[in-house]
Amino acid sequence: MRYWQVFWTVSLLVAGTSFAFITLVVTIKGFRDLREMFSSLSQQREDSGE
Amino acid sequence: MNFAVIDWVIVVGYLALSLGVGIIGKRYVGNVTHYLVAGRELGLYVGIATLAATEIGTITYMYNGEFGYIYGFAAFAPALISGLVMIIVGRTGLVISRFRQLKLMTVPEYFEVKYSRGLRILTGVLVAVGGILNMGVFLKIEGEFLTIVSGINVRFLVPVMTAILLLELIYTVLGGMVSVVITDFIQYVLLSVATILVTIYAVAHTGWANILAKITTTMGDVGFNPVTNPGLGVKFLVWQILIWFAVHTCWQTTAMRMFSTKSPETSKKVMTWTGFIFLGRGMLPMLWGIAALTLFGVGTIGKGGVPMPVVNGQTLPAIDAMPAMLAQILGPGVRGVVVAGMLAATMSVNSSYLLGWSAVISQDIILPVRQALGKGPLSSRRQILVNRIANLFVSLFLMFWGLYYTPPGEVYLYLNITGTIFLAGAFASVVGGLYWRRANLAGGYAAMLLGAAGAIIPFFFLKTSENTAGFAAFGLAAVGLVAGSLLWPRQPAPAREGAGEVASTD
Repeated sequence: MRYWQVFWTVSLLVAGTSFAFITLVVTIKGFRDLREMFSSLSQQREDSGE
Repeated sequence: MNFAVIDWVIVVGYLALSLGVGIIGKRYVGNVTHYLVAGRELGLYVGIATLAATEIGTITYMYNGEFGYIYGFAAFAPALISGLVMIIVGRTGLVISRFRQLKLMTVPEYFEVKYSRGLRILTGVLVAVGGILNMGVFLKIEGEFLTIVSGINVRFLVPVMTAILLLELIYTVLGGMVSVVITDFIQYVLLSVATILVTIYAVAHTGWANILAKITTTMGDVGFNPVTNPGLGVKFLVWQILIWFAVHTCWQTTAMRMFSTKSPETSKKVMTWTGFIFLGRGMLPMLWGIAALTLFGVGTIGKGGVPMPVVNGQTLPAIDAMPAMLAQILGPGVRGVVVAGMLAATMSVNSSYLLGWSAVISQDIILPVRQALGKGPLSSRRQILVNRIANLFVSLFLMFWGLYYTPPGEVYLYLNITGTIFLAGAFASVVGGLYWRRANLAGGYAAMLLGAAGAIIPFFFLKTSENTAGFAAFGLAAVGLVAGSLLWPRQPAPAREGAGEVASTD
């Protein structure tokens, strides 16, 4: 039981830390992705004459 | 009523923002590729946000909280499996890279590319039935969460959930995947903040030592060890590995994100990094459930030998323990942020699922049936219209079914088994189709039919456990693919290059 306690505690710490870290990175860098997506979609519409 | 004015301001402000931003997406939709896969322009970071937001809803928090309450730390096993399998799929590109290369828009579309139009339609029907039944329980359970945490009268549950569904429907119908991606991004940020806040509050309020002590005294070793836990065990763990490989490769809403990325390489990166989020997606709400057990688990002994939650002198079902805990431990302002976060989670999942299942109904059932009847192809604009109408029908079904149906047993297992109805056969057919040169049409039909029968008959008619039914479904689907392909080897070659190894024609 002791082994499992340690295992799940470490797993939980890894899960919580990576969740928070990736959220931070995605929040900051995601805006740039969205802008690029809008620009590409607008370009696609112009190219197809819609 | 648990809500203060500040909480209402936060929640209403969030809803208005979501709707406004979602409607903006419509201006970028010119054809059906924009509508269903955002013009295949998703970059890495927004891809992670939309994939994570799609698969993290209030329903996710509720069933994981319930699972944690009933099985303790042993419940972490499927969460760990889901994250690790996702990382493996991302690193190897299993299925997802080939799917992206084929420029598909739905999973059943592959079945026409590799096998036949008839099998595509059959798969479309099974995907739609399994997916909509799966989604059918979302609204009621999400409504329970909101009612308990906000404290609004239960008689307002139906109008509140109907209003939320209508808001999602408006921007999903108008802007399709583009609107869904934009709103997913905002919703992902908000739901993540709420997840982190609740985790901190739950552990700080309950105490880590108390949590460990409660599981030790009420469950003993089985509260930590998923292998010896009688409700879980080896059969459950193997089923979980299989179903998570199937979900991450063949689940329509997940696959649509992979189809929407800029390149196969971007798909792999999105999948890999979202795998780390999936660890927290499962474990963190399970921890909330365990904290709720620690605080409220003093009632009569319920399922799995665990005491039922008692809150303010009233015994609740295990699934309601976690939201009852949040109603007590969160203060004004924080409660508003958390409920807005949960609403964000609800809307991101529901809008993506509405789009996913309606895409299957329109692209894989209605349009192929039209073609089979000898009618000409529809213009892109008409296809969007068919998608929008399908979207409305799925929503209507959810309103009438979702608010009144109560699933038997644990919600996590119900969702797994309804997903297995099509995932078992689809996973076997897709993996076989892509990587085994002798896989053919007979094998594909056998896999889909036996996989569905393996899930439906044992669970709904023979009343066996979800673990046995799920295990049987995947086993039968694999046997069906191999046996069907070997026994009837004369089949036509795949229609599109890259669809898979060429089936034997000799």
